Amino acid sequence: MSTALLQELHQELRRIYIAGSDLALGDYRLKRMLPQFQQLGERAPIFKRLGEGIAALIEPADMENNQSAEQLQDLNLLLTSVLRTQGTTAPQGDLRPLENRPVSLSTFLSYRKLAAVEEALTTTGSNRYEVVVHAFEEGMFRDLRLLALAVRALGDPYSEIAEFAMQKILPSYGAKVVPHLIDSFDPMGGRVESRKLQVIRQAGGEDVLELIFQAAESGSEEVRVTAIRLLAAHASYESALLSWTKDKKKSIRVAAYHALAVINSEAAVERIYEAFAGKDIEIAAEAAAKCSSEQLTASLVRGLGVELKHALEYKEDKKKAEASQIKISHFLTALEGKRSDALYEIFAGVIRQYSLYISSVGLDLMDAAAHYFEHEDSLEALEALHVLEQHNTRYLSHAFRASFRQLSPSVLYEHYVQSVRNKWKMKTNKETQKKLKQLLSIIEQQVIAYPYQSYPNLWSSPEETTYLRKVELMPAEQVAQQWDSRWLDWLVEVHATHLVCVFARPDHTESQSFLVERMQDMAELRHQSIEILLLGLERADVDAPLLLELLMKVLEHKWSSNLYVFEGHLLEYLYQLPFTYQDRLADMIQKYRYTAREQLQYVWNEMEKKKQEAFVVDSV
Amino acid sequence: MIEITSSFVDSLASNTTAIKNAQGLVKKRSFVQLHQSEDGTLLFAECKGSGSSNYQCSADFIQPDKPILRCSCPSRQLPCKHALGILYAYIGGETFTTTAVPDDIAAKREKAEKREEKKLQQTSEGAEPKPKKVNKTALKKKVQSQLEGLDVLEKLLQSLVRNGLGTIDKKVIKTMQEHVKQMGNYYLTGAQTELRRLTLLLSEADDREQVYTDVVEQLAVMHAFIKKGRAYLTSKLADPTLALDHESTIEEWLGHAWQLTDLKEYGLMKEQVELVQLAFVSYDDSARQEYVDEGYWLERDSGEIHRTILYRPYKAAKLMREEDSLFDAVRVPSLYQYPGDMNRRVRFEEMVVRPLDSHEVVDISKYAQRSYTDVIKKVKNQLKNPLSHANPLVLLHVAEVLQSNQDEVVIADETGQHLVLRDQVSDGHRTLPMLTQLSASQLEDVSMLVRFEHDMDTGRLTAMPLTILKDADMLRLLY
Repeated sequence: MSTALLQELHQELRRIYIAGSDLALGDYRLKRMLPQFQQLGERAPIFKRLGEGIAALIEPADMENNQSAEQLQDLNLLLTSVLRTQGTTAPQGDLRPLENRPVSLSTFLSYRKLAAVEEALTTTGSNRYEVVVHAFEEGMFRDLRLLALAVRALGDPYSEIAEFAMQKILPSYGAKVVPHLIDSFDPMGGRVESRKLQVIRQAGGEDVLELIFQAAESGSEEVRVTAIRLLAAHASYESALLSWTKDKKKSIRVAAYHALAVINSEAAVERIYEAFAGKDIEIAAEAAAKCSSEQLTASLVRGLGVELKHALEYKEDKKKAEASQIKISHFLTALEGKRSDALYEIFAGVIRQYSLYISSVGLDLMDAAAHYFEHEDSLEALEALHVLEQHNTRYLSHAFRASFRQLSPSVLYEHYVQSVRNKWKMKTNKETQKKLKQLLSIIEQQVIAYPYQSYPNLWSSPEETTYLRKVELMPAEQVAQQWDSRWLDWLVEVHATHLVCVFARPDHTESQSFLVERMQDMAELRHQSIEILLLGLERADVDAPLLLELLMKVLEHKWSSNLYVFEGHLLEYLYQLPFTYQDRLADMIQKYRYTAREQLQYVWNEMEKKKQEAFVVDSV
Repeated sequence: MIEITSSFVDSLASNTTAIKNAQGLVKKRSFVQLHQSEDGTLLFAECKGSGSSNYQCSADFIQPDKPILRCSCPSRQLPCKHALGILYAYIGGETFTTTAVPDDIAAKREKAEKREEKKLQQTSEGAEPKPKKVNKTALKKKVQSQLEGLDVLEKLLQSLVRNGLGTIDKKVIKTMQEHVKQMGNYYLTGAQTELRRLTLLLSEADDREQVYTDVVEQLAVMHAFIKKGRAYLTSKLADPTLALDHESTIEEWLGHAWQLTDLKEYGLMKEQVELVQLAFVSYDDSARQEYVDEGYWLERDSGEIHRTILYRPYKAAKLMREEDSLFDAVRVPSLYQYPGDMNRRVRFEEMVVRPLDSHEVVDISKYAQRSYTDVIKKVKNQLKNPLSHANPLVLLHVAEVLQSNQDEVVIADETGQHLVLRDQVSDGHRTLPMLTQLSASQLEDVSMLVRFEHDMDTGRLTAMPLTILKDADMLRLLY
């Protein structure tokens, strides 16, 4: 059966359908085919019929009543039927067994369950992330039919899904998924391919390192960066990493340096330090910061010393000085968190010649020195810090923290208060006031914290919780232990309200009256201040009724009703308000809005309930 | 005590939203009162709804495996979330107070009982259901109208063909769409669907060049349908009984929906048939304006492969229960077969489900056809008729799975006959890539359910793998 001829006829008829059946009249190509059909028609009737059909189309018997459309339809129908019996089933090309990479998955999910996940992974819209995560947790991805979609998910437009696929779904298939990932991996791709590479590394073990190396050599920029990062832990690729630090592209160099920092070999460290002499100093510095090599630290310290010398030399030359300063800041970045005796010496020198270094290099250097010395446990370092804090209140915090750690409570007090008592009294001196404020704030940082705590939304939906802030004061026993008792007097003297609250003691009447006054003076509800005050009043052992009355007064104040929500201790106080305050509370509720109002309403409702219960009990 | 499980209740629901809503009602404590009758066969309750008064709903377990769910809410969904909710509440261990059966439900029960009695009476007396009186004049009128419709359709097609497909613009498409509507007036719903199919092919294509071959093929199908339909309808007019043709598919092409009683009359009903589902698929047929749920089943006694088809019209889709893959073995008391050739459509009202035993799966493989030459011959014989189902399904024995250096996947039978596998992209599913993810044992000496397709552009007959059976394992590549 001459199938090729039939296919050719089919193509011609298709052409005529597009052009219009009338144009078949006298069509040159059909005319040319006709004799072959007629010839074959002598032996096969079907070709005869087809030939007759073609003839009727190109040379209709009845020119006037041209039924070209019907002729074409008839011929097409006949041809279609014939062609459908002539379909070839043979393969083209040589055959070999199918290369399979088994993944050991079965098929157990029903259509409806699968369709839901498929839709989540192939369309865009809301809620898809939840569907995917839930499906994974239910073990649905163990079904063979979701594997391809899981791989595809690496490229999902919603990055959280893509990350989830990369970190959870694909690794769950184990090493078996790796060949399939490698199959579709395109080194010239972008983020999707980077993600793929990460999964390949995670699931693939040692065998895939060669592939990753290839990707690092010749992939797209994004892929190369990821690949280099993945090679970081492998010393065998060191020479490649070294050469990549000289790559044209910056991102490649960054990745290479960071990888070398992890490898930490002599050659790696040398290369990193070498870069400090050139344009890549910034990159090298960030990489060096991650490198724990002592050899490197020593080189860096030496380098820092040299640059500091230069900085002093170039004092007059603005350009050179600036260049030096930049270099120094990079060295400092690289030395972040590192400690060595040589470095100590350098910083000690810097602190000793404060004004010189401030003017030639700048604050960054001094800050680094202060920071270093703060963490040094020696009296010598402490003394240097005390010198430093005199130069600039900026270093008060470093010095104070170091002092707090190393000095006894009484010595600490004497240094910061006693010895300069009169100075603090100079209320008009701006410098002094600034210092005072700073000291107080540093102390506050040590003793007051503002963590979040979860509270059930009793006022609206009790099953749900919200995170609200709750002030935390250093426990009174700890205060007594770590701080000299004389602080309290002085704090009252300088009107440091928050700290008085922390340091308050039941026996100290001045702080009691001081705090009561502060509470009375409160013009509006500043939430954190009120919380601290409440705690302070407690510590000072102020009478509970008085405390509550003070609190109510503040809450009733005109501007307090702007508050959005009650948090922490304030909220807890509200829960414990005795129901004698119920009427005042009722009046107050009207003025508040937002969640604060809901909370007050809840408190009032609870009071009402308790009242009813009490009533019942009483009447029994 | 009524024994029900949550998966049983799930199965009564039409879709997953109904399940969620019903469970939500229980959580929100919308059920004001929950009762059960003294004999425990009736659960009834009052439920808070969006209306002013509460809804009265109930679940009647007179027949323990087929509860009747009733509710006074205005929702058209059957069963509604309130009635389902009662069942979830019951499973969840909520308290049901025992009370007497309310009057209205008692009345309904009586009515239902009477109906059942009547039915039993009729079958026990062997009474024939009253023969439907066929209104011959009306039917004649209908047939004449259908003939007229075919003429109208033919005229339209011929004008398209004469002017050429290349001239089809928005105006022409509009005319075609109007004709689609008209076909309904001529009682030709089948023609309506096929014309709509043609219109969609042309109107939805981004690049017409890609679809012309399919358009030409569709024109051939429609031409065949018009010719055969005309011949058949003309002979029907001449026939005094105006009988239905139960041997060819022409009735369905014309739009006739077979009644099960008719099929039984023509002897197209089998009893106590055991079936196993080999594959399932659901898709959107925009030409029919319906969602279609198709199941491919193996008849265990004969090895024949049947298709179940559930059509869910877009407008009614929310109210109808979606079908799903079934992994159990099924016994059907009455299996009705539609006219057709290979893979005939079947339908059944009731079925008894039981877990599929592994030896039963092993057993299936005895029906796998071992000679591709014979199968291909049979398939081509069916494809020869443009009005036959264009994608026959066959269970083949596969000796091994190969690949060519042209990246084709090929299966071979024991004699070395080859058949190229290819995905049929029309429904968007691709099963071929999964083959490389199987183990070697799943790729040799297995049974494979495939679906054939002839591509007019390339002249090739290929098959798409749907399910693989090896020993006791069934691997559903599709659904």
